[in-house]
Amino acid sequence: MSEQQQRYKLHWITAIIEVLKTVKEAILPLLALIFVNGFQGGWKGEMTGLWYVDYLSFIIFGALIIGLAIAGIVKWRRFEYWFEDDELRIESGLFVKKKRYIPFDRIQSLDYTEGIFHRPFGLVKVKVETAGSSSQKQAEGELTAITKEAAKRVEMEMAEAKRRKKATPGLDGEEAAFEGMYEQPAEEESALRRIFTMSTKDLFVLATTSGGIGVILSGVAIFLSQFADLIPFEWMYEEISAFIKFGALIVAAAIFLGFLFVWVLSVAMTFLSHYKFTVALDKEDIIITRGLLEKKRVTVPLKRIQSVVLVENPFRKLFGYVSVSLHSAGGSIGLSSKINLFPLVKKDQVETYLQEIFPDLHLEEPAKKLTPKGRPFYYRIDFLWMVPVIGALIYFFFPYGLFSLALIPVVIAYGIWQHRSASYDVVGNQLIMRFRLFSLQTAYTMKKRIQSMEMKQSYFHKRKGVATVIANVKSGMGCYHAGVHHMDVEEAEKILNWYEKGKSAE
Amino acid sequence: MRAQPANRISKKGLKVWRLYGWIQTIILALVAIGGGVLVYIFEWPWWIYPIEAIVLVLFAYFMVFLFPKVRWLRWRYEVRESEIELQHGLFIVKRTLIPMVRVQHVDTSQGPILRKYKLAEISISTAATVHTIPALVVEEADELRGRISVLARVAEDDV
Repeated sequence: MSEQQQRYKLHWITAIIEVLKTVKEAILPLLALIFVNGFQGGWKGEMTGLWYVDYLSFIIFGALIIGLAIAGIVKWRRFEYWFEDDELRIESGLFVKKKRYIPFDRIQSLDYTEGIFHRPFGLVKVKVETAGSSSQKQAEGELTAITKEAAKRVEMEMAEAKRRKKATPGLDGEEAAFEGMYEQPAEEESALRRIFTMSTKDLFVLATTSGGIGVILSGVAIFLSQFADLIPFEWMYEEISAFIKFGALIVAAAIFLGFLFVWVLSVAMTFLSHYKFTVALDKEDIIITRGLLEKKRVTVPLKRIQSVVLVENPFRKLFGYVSVSLHSAGGSIGLSSKINLFPLVKKDQVETYLQEIFPDLHLEEPAKKLTPKGRPFYYRIDFLWMVPVIGALIYFFFPYGLFSLALIPVVIAYGIWQHRSASYDVVGNQLIMRFRLFSLQTAYTMKKRIQSMEMKQSYFHKRKGVATVIANVKSGMGCYHAGVHHMDVEEAEKILNWYEKGKSAE
Repeated sequence: MRAQPANRISKKGLKVWRLYGWIQTIILALVAIGGGVLVYIFEWPWWIYPIEAIVLVLFAYFMVFLFPKVRWLRWRYEVRESEIELQHGLFIVKRTLIPMVRVQHVDTSQGPILRKYKLAEISISTAATVHTIPALVVEEADELRGRISVLARVAEDDV
């Protein structure tokens, strides 16, 4: 079946994108190079007379840029892909030729990204997501920049191959049955149905309450630390001592302004990346599109979804908002592939949306609460670290160390909060587990998606008749643990019995 | 109360664990001797010697006698038609339930020490997790691996 052998190349913009990617990854060493070399050498006028010493940093820098440009061009020139034997075949590399053959029926989805370099040329980056299992090394392919027509061609080739596969099931019937998890129906006319679009107002709420602030703060700190050598500290100390005379108010204002700046940055970034966040249903797939400058389109096959998790952040809940994430099997990244299905949605509407995508899912609140028996376990273990820490604080900082005693009620209250929030329920062949870290998470999982279940009991648990139940769910290449801690042992055993009792309930 | 899984692991497993305990104890003893030499050379206080000795004896007691014993008594497994059940743990008893339909593959493996005692360990992999039964007689492990793979194939896949 090697009727199609025509080889395709990527668009030339690939070379530029590759160079920029490398520069972005190497930005810190590069900056260090410029600052260390640039300021020591000719920059400050201390010429040594030897031109190649004075301009060493420029020479290195220039050589690096040229080298990168050549590497980018070579990478683009040597990259080829074609379709053969129902496989997507990719060949790349100059000295070490790398060939990668990805069978079409192993491809789970094609994800598109349109960056700012892609947009003017009508190009798109295609990421091939495969359904690798945990044991085998996964095949993954990325076409950095191809035209939209070419992307369509890949899609068509794939659909064609899958249809052919379906037409001849006898060929590898056993494998198909075993790999039933990965099989997809042949695509016919796509029937795109829009489920959810985030309004600008919601987007604004999401951006302003996003937890990315911490990340950006640390990013700014790292960035500033790069410039630490440039800051004239002696001059600054004088300035600061004058500054302090203005009073605490101005200092506080300056800090606040700093935070405000970081926060505005975070808002802007969330805004750009989640702009026009849309969830649509295309028969067997969920299609998520988002982004203003960089448009992303992610496809999640419904069959691969393992668990639906409702996340209720206490702050966002004040405004009546919750979010929903999915755990899907496979995917291209090794980390857990948690997908934000609805980054922000009104609590009273979430059920309608979810029901539209997952008609079989029972979205009740888990009705069974924990009994008081398990409550002490939520904070008792914390005394193990609290006693030495508080003891040390009191010993070393005698009078003020006593304030650390205030930690005890806080930790106990947090434990009681977690205990009160935890609940669980079994509805038909579906397990609902609700637990709190800081945000309240409710995991809805079908029995057939639970890979294994565990019940854990320590000696103290046994004495009080409580146990912890954990459900292991596949997420990406890894594992997502949904669990209810310190519940009644009889109830825990009921859940295990439900899990054990074959498939009778289906 | 759920019944405990029926089968225990091989009694020889206890011997192997004790051997591991001895190896760890010997390593610690070497460290302790090194420490003792340092104490002698630098004339550090004498009471470091008895502390080292006590720590060593306690370590040997726990790692060679108590922990392997408790672990061995705890370890139980059962392979039924539609699921595998495991129970293990030293301080926290963990009971794991793996349905046959979820089993993806079964491996047996043995290192030099296990081979000397004609033992093997068996690893059961699902899509997300791996579970290991640590010490089984080789024939038993092979038989079990075969049985699990047959049962896992028979069990209808409904993922």
